[in-house]
Amino acid sequence: MEYRSSVITSKYLRSRKIPSTACSGCGLGLNHKIVVQAISELGLDVADVVWGTSIGCAGRQTFATWKGDGFAGTHGRVYAISRGLRVALPPEKKIILTVGDGDAFGIGLLHLIHAARSNADMTVIVNDNLGYQSTGGQYGWTTPQGSHTDSSPYGMFEHNLMSDEMDVLDILKGAGATFLARHVAMDGQRAVETVKKAILNRGFSLIHMPYPCPTNFASRELGSRNQVNIYRWIQERAAPLGEEKENTVWATGIWHDASNSRPEFSEYVHETVEKIRRTGSI
Amino acid sequence: MKRFLETGNFAITEGAILAGCRFFAGYPITPATELAEAMSLRLPQVGGIYLQAEDECAAMHMCVGAALGGMKAMTATSGPGFILYADPYGWALGCETPMVVLNSGRVGPVSGITGAPGQGEFYLMRYPTQGGNFETICLAPNTAQECMAMTVEAFYLSERFRMPVSVLADQLITDGFEDISVPENEDEMKEMGFRTWPREICRGPEFYPASDALDVPPVVLGHNTGALCSDWTPTEEGYDIEEVEAHHKHAYRLIYKVRNNRDLFSHHYEKKYMGDDPDLVVVSYGSPSRVVNTAVEKARSQGLKVGSLRLINIWPFPDEHFDRQCKYLCVELNWDGQLVREVQRAAPKGSGVHFMGTCGDLPTTPDLIETFEKLLKNEPIRRKGWVLEEW
Repeated sequence: MEYRSSVITSKYLRSRKIPSTACSGCGLGLNHKIVVQAISELGLDVADVVWGTSIGCAGRQTFATWKGDGFAGTHGRVYAISRGLRVALPPEKKIILTVGDGDAFGIGLLHLIHAARSNADMTVIVNDNLGYQSTGGQYGWTTPQGSHTDSSPYGMFEHNLMSDEMDVLDILKGAGATFLARHVAMDGQRAVETVKKAILNRGFSLIHMPYPCPTNFASRELGSRNQVNIYRWIQERAAPLGEEKENTVWATGIWHDASNSRPEFSEYVHETVEKIRRTGSI
Repeated sequence: MKRFLETGNFAITEGAILAGCRFFAGYPITPATELAEAMSLRLPQVGGIYLQAEDECAAMHMCVGAALGGMKAMTATSGPGFILYADPYGWALGCETPMVVLNSGRVGPVSGITGAPGQGEFYLMRYPTQGGNFETICLAPNTAQECMAMTVEAFYLSERFRMPVSVLADQLITDGFEDISVPENEDEMKEMGFRTWPREICRGPEFYPASDALDVPPVVLGHNTGALCSDWTPTEEGYDIEEVEAHHKHAYRLIYKVRNNRDLFSHHYEKKYMGDDPDLVVVSYGSPSRVVNTAVEKARSQGLKVGSLRLINIWPFPDEHFDRQCKYLCVELNWDGQLVREVQRAAPKGSGVHFMGTCGDLPTTPDLIETFEKLLKNEPIRRKGWVLEEW
């Protein structure tokens, strides 16, 4: 069957990599579409964005899909890489990162906090498939408590970054992130509007985007690879902020918007260096 | 030419700036802290950027990021920080990103003794990351002045070979104060033998050619060339691929671009009293080589037929210097013997390859001369009450 690309796909994405090699029914494509749609609605060009990814499902499936320049960093380190890249790139270039939950909230959390602390201009899309799915399905740091995974066969009983009133976005807000939001993959245009705002923030933006994994997460937790079941399971546990129900795990919408309220890292560094070069002091 | 009484760290900073380095990210660690401090002072004066990282792993990743953005970048550390480079070092090797890494050796393992010189990372400089399928380039200066020269050279080689290049010094060399001459213009740089190479930009569509060619411009992001770089095995265009043949092509390049172009740096060594086929060749690098040179000179005046071979280019290992069957003595700042293993491998069969180690402290000239005498008389060498294995 010939794949017919939409206008957005042919403008922004590489036909060699789209469709991706993601599992049947994977929800990552929804998140990916939301991000590219937001870029398109902002009227950005291929040349305006450097697209970075990491490893795991989210990294591998989105790497080299962007028609322009792209990189895939080592596991958890793209936030450090992007800080280095940020000071080397012109300020108008957008750095957009599509990473996984293990990458951002596990191995990369230290670097993520420092990226937020410095308010380096980048948009981090954390595609959360509720654990480490490309290695077969082990629990991660935002996996709902009680979930059965390959490494929590009795149910995930550890306290994590989304249990006991904890929220990983709290940590990032405390660290100085200037734009934070959460959406599930089925949020459609609502999520697109949020991503647009995140990209327009000249500073550190992060959107946490849980998406369904029928192959590994759903097969262990729900006992079914039928994608309808896991889509429904996630949707039932998501509600817009302010409309949360008892079983709501993911309150969706803009969580913290302090866009353009703090100096952007690279701009601030360059301005300061220029001042030192000219006058010898700050 | 400006003269200073300054440290090796100062010399490295000036060398990096002369080579065009405008980005440094580091994490405080003895004895490389003063280099970070010097960079934080000097880089802004020339429009460069110094960033302090949350750890060494982030520091080198930030450098790779800056290098991918088109800047010449450098980081520096000591052994306990160098192991945290394992992650970004591999990525930089695979993505063929030019940058310079300095390791100032101290006494290990782990934190060991912080303020004393050691040479425990001889093999770590060869294999700074996992996975194999690559060659690395490492230069080991033995004076502050040479630190500057080798930093400039490391930047030059990193651009031409399209890879990270490391400089291995030790605490004495980076912390010690010495007379340093800093060139003030390009003519003076040329006079001092400094070579530089500009950053160029790979325009594609082939970003990872399956060849051993030098001077392939590196991947630079942000110029809308469609450049790709990743931590996976790349196709020639940079797409990730899980195929053995593509991996073979990539590995061929990472290995043979260095092996087949060694003449570009194989002249980095120092030979003393080596012209008359000495009976004993003393092999060393870094700060112990300074004592070795003195000891060999004295031994010669006493009629001992001893020569000194000081290695500066230590990786890829310069096998070509070990073509003669004779006695070799490797003098190193470690107790386990690392350089000696490589000399054993490279020397012709039947050569007697011996080891003399100290750590945290330099060997003394009388100790060295006593060892030369014993070796020349075929007597066993014993030292300081420890019974060391006879190499």
